[in-house]
Amino acid sequence: MNILSLSGFVPEAICDTVRFTGYTGERNIAHYCGYTADYISQVMNDHDIDGAVFPKTCDSTRTLMSYLSGSGKFCFQFVPPSDGTPSGVEFYANQIRTYKRSVEAFYGITLGDIPERMEMVNERNKLILGAYERLSSLSYFEYLSAIHGMLKLPLKEQKTFGKAGPLSPQKRIDMTGQRSATKEKRVFIVGSFLSCLQIAKDVEAAGLNVAGDSLPESGRLVSARPMDPEGDPYLEIAAHILSMRHSPTQNSFRGLISRDISEIEEKNVNGVIFVIQKYCEPYEYLYPVYKKELDKRGISSVKISPDHSEDRAKAVLLLEAFADKLQEG
Amino acid sequence: MEQSVFGLQAKIMREYYKDFSKYAKGRAPERKVAWVTAFTPIEILEALDISYYYPESYAAVIAASEKEQDMLDRSALLDMSRDCCSYSCCFNGCLDAGGGPRGVPPKPDVLIATNNQCNTLPGWWNLLADKYDVPLIVLDYPGEAVDPVNAFNYVNAQHLRLISELEKLSGNILDESKLAANIDASVRSVNAWNRVISFLSSKEVKATTLFDDINFLITARCKPDTSELYTLMADEIRDVPDAADDGIPLFWLGYPLWYHKDRYLSELLDGFRITGSNYITWWSLDYSGNSPYEQLFSAYNYTFLNLSQAGRDRRLSGLIRESGARCAVVLHNKSCKCDFVSARNVGIPQAEIEIDMIDRNYLNIDRAKAQLALLKETVCSE
Repeated sequence: MNILSLSGFVPEAICDTVRFTGYTGERNIAHYCGYTADYISQVMNDHDIDGAVFPKTCDSTRTLMSYLSGSGKFCFQFVPPSDGTPSGVEFYANQIRTYKRSVEAFYGITLGDIPERMEMVNERNKLILGAYERLSSLSYFEYLSAIHGMLKLPLKEQKTFGKAGPLSPQKRIDMTGQRSATKEKRVFIVGSFLSCLQIAKDVEAAGLNVAGDSLPESGRLVSARPMDPEGDPYLEIAAHILSMRHSPTQNSFRGLISRDISEIEEKNVNGVIFVIQKYCEPYEYLYPVYKKELDKRGISSVKISPDHSEDRAKAVLLLEAFADKLQEG
Repeated sequence: MEQSVFGLQAKIMREYYKDFSKYAKGRAPERKVAWVTAFTPIEILEALDISYYYPESYAAVIAASEKEQDMLDRSALLDMSRDCCSYSCCFNGCLDAGGGPRGVPPKPDVLIATNNQCNTLPGWWNLLADKYDVPLIVLDYPGEAVDPVNAFNYVNAQHLRLISELEKLSGNILDESKLAANIDASVRSVNAWNRVISFLSSKEVKATTLFDDINFLITARCKPDTSELYTLMADEIRDVPDAADDGIPLFWLGYPLWYHKDRYLSELLDGFRITGSNYITWWSLDYSGNSPYEQLFSAYNYTFLNLSQAGRDRRLSGLIRESGARCAVVLHNKSCKCDFVSARNVGIPQAEIEIDMIDRNYLNIDRAKAQLALLKETVCSE
């Protein structure tokens, strides 16, 4: 069973999935965000992948079932509720129950270890949270690479940072030989899953020190409240997912920005980097509102718009210019 | 006094626009004001005596008045991406400019967005909430992706919360008999409109008329005047001559082009005749159910763009069959990704045109011309 999953809204405690992190094969880009288009491409083209599970959270993911339902592979779409009200939690819990039944029916298996898996998710998140809390002293590239590596493994193997080994103190990968990180260049990263890890490397190469982020695999993941394995598993999983720092797809920009700004101010961040996939409308709409709040506080920002999941064509120049701006500021 | 189509249209429009800044001239609206998306259960708002306005429709009006480029440029200065839906860029640009062809709608007391047509609208409405600092209510409709019992319970809880919030805002208490009457009025409007559009394939009626006149179903579907208007329209169209049988019957799959005088690429469609369109059926909502709440759920959870691919395939194949179309123009609309996939399984020859319904500059006219010439050749050689 190799189900490719998209987004942090997919419940990991039900069964193992392979988290989609990026795609390097033949692409078919249209008006959809490159990340979603690449996900479609991998599900369709990768013979090792026999299933797909994904949310309906934006205009691009809305179209996924239209493209994938004829693939002959297992397909399941979640509709995450826009908030964590009791009716929303129950609504999501019912979908999670249906998901479990659908996996069991399609693959002819029984999924019986949900409480154990809930514990494993809790432990894994605790591990990542530990690293997140000392993020500014770690290499951000190594930190994210380690997480991406973990998320592709079965849950029971997500106990260490894997091949990346212990995370080294933040390295300054100095491509110009002139740049170096300073305390004054503390940045916060906003965006969806950072599929192009090279951008994290570019951030560091520009001499920027990442103090926090709101990425689904990092800042959002560690914000989830732990699950109680003794409770109703479906309600617990639903409440756990919905307790996370909000995504802009959950329709409450005010809450999202307010939470991020608290962290940004607490960590004395003086620059915010938006990494927004081209055609990613939830973040495109978030951007003007978020930027306005940053401008009010005198916090600089830069926006990088990758064309697809591996694109970083304009990132280096933009980041270098941004680092210079922070230095001057 | 006997009503006429023109008289009823003028009456409904007058009522809708009277509080826009150009006509209100500083006079405050008498009722609380909501800005809503096109598939909002306005039967609830009507029952609570709340006025409602449609920013999407106004963006269409702006484009029809040839003002959209200025508004789109202004939106870029507001840090909005031109990749976003042009309705939002155009309308927000208009707000920034302080006025469009009819001024701007009265300031909202509440913003209500739904995601039963796309997920763009809640994002746009968040921008409006930031601008006006008023409550934002997002109604989440899961569509066919979730089993009906789970979906009903979830949607109904939101409808009840919406009512509660709007009761507080308006100071009115919902009278369920009024709600039921409003739903009945919507049903009558839908039925009368369905009769109007049924003539498109057989009568000498231009698609332009229907693209424009569906506006009443969008903005005033639960007002009794609307069903009366459409009943009169249907009677009038019934009496016009049958369409000449001299054009290739064509299905227009996508939005009207609001900036275009005919709302479609008439200059490139010589030799074709539009006999069907999916857009003109989008507000033909199905209010089936045993109670007002079931009816609202059915109508607003199962909108066309919230159906599964199989559901859309079924709906579209029926529409195309009824239209007698032999080919289709499919709009690969920059602003509406959700609609484009509707055409995935259309079984007739089609020309897929890169376009936008608001931004007239987003079109390679030579390419479109070549595509339509090829489409004609394909159909003629069948």
